[in-house]
Amino acid sequence: MPRVAGMTTAFLTHPSAFTHVNPEGHAECVARLEALYAATSDLDLLRVEAPIADDTPILRAHPQSYIDNLAMQLPEAGIVALDPDTYLSSGSLNAARCGVGGIVKAVDMVLDGEAGNAFVAMRPPGHHAERETSMGFCLFGNVAIAALHALEARCLSRVAIVDFDVHHGNGTQDILWNEDRIRFFSSHGMPLYPGSGSENERGAHGQIVNMPLPPESTGALYREKLERVILPVLDEFRPELLLISAGFDAHIADPLAYLNWQDEDFEYATRRLCDAAQKHCDGRVVSALEGGYNLSTLGALARTHIGILQEFSA
Amino acid sequence: MSDVSKMSFEDAMGELEKLVGQLESGNVPLEESIKLYERGDALKKHCEKKLAEAEEKVAQITKGADGEATGATPVNYD
Repeated sequence: MPRVAGMTTAFLTHPSAFTHVNPEGHAECVARLEALYAATSDLDLLRVEAPIADDTPILRAHPQSYIDNLAMQLPEAGIVALDPDTYLSSGSLNAARCGVGGIVKAVDMVLDGEAGNAFVAMRPPGHHAERETSMGFCLFGNVAIAALHALEARCLSRVAIVDFDVHHGNGTQDILWNEDRIRFFSSHGMPLYPGSGSENERGAHGQIVNMPLPPESTGALYREKLERVILPVLDEFRPELLLISAGFDAHIADPLAYLNWQDEDFEYATRRLCDAAQKHCDGRVVSALEGGYNLSTLGALARTHIGILQEFSA
Repeated sequence: MSDVSKMSFEDAMGELEKLVGQLESGNVPLEESIKLYERGDALKKHCEKKLAEAEEKVAQITKGADGEATGATPVNYD
């Protein structure tokens, strides 16, 4: 699957993302995606409508009973609370299915050489959704599902996931706990929601690397972890595909966390991960939006992230 | 919720330990966890201030103006 020169970055999204509505004042709001759209509307991207996923890819990560339970609780109108963070509105399941469809399609496009790399701009996010538990604003484990799709449906042997959202990717970890064909790296503030993600949580095969970061720490510490831990493991693992759980809430201005990353730290992380993908898998990167709750900074951070993807796909 | 600046060292420390336990247990909603951290941070700073004040008072007792122990200033940890 060699990369063809002159390819572009695919941008996958779907209007259903606006129909997943949380209660007023909730941090994970429709305006997040509006901000991201506004900041990236002039970029020359291969814009693709995310298809709605059927149960097939979802069932690799969640049991049928879990999907059925979400469908059963879906309200015809209004909003239903699944827990104090996570809600369903009438459009939520459709939006979540398009989130899965979008990232699965992104993987296919990148593996089939239709795009050099891809960004999936959907909500709700996914990395907190465990195999049998929705939580932390998340319904389906999008990135874990994408990894399993790449392994099972596309017969890859090695997939890496880097999650730089400020909260631990507990859902991705839970779903992929026994999967030795992946390497999963999560960096996150600790102590912070959801409370998991200590260094001694390593997966059934030692394939999971958790990097808790102390409150108020800057991007310099993450850069060090990236250079000393993530990149060397990637060099040894030689992934055939790199997935990114792109949360932008480690930024100093984010209201839901306490890390002090600057814009340049996200730029650095994206660039170094793209470098690694270039080295090992012809630049095949699929990145998906997770958190990031400052409406004034989210758009610019996502724009820079996607702009770097573009540089690498050109 | 008590005003942190008026809390005793023991009360602040007790609440801080409870908050850390809550954050580590994963039973705190995502949107609440940062508020809990901020409260914990305020409690931690308050405890550090109380400790520094106590150390200062101990130093006064043990040294005194002429370098001799005086025992004239009782330590009040509250």
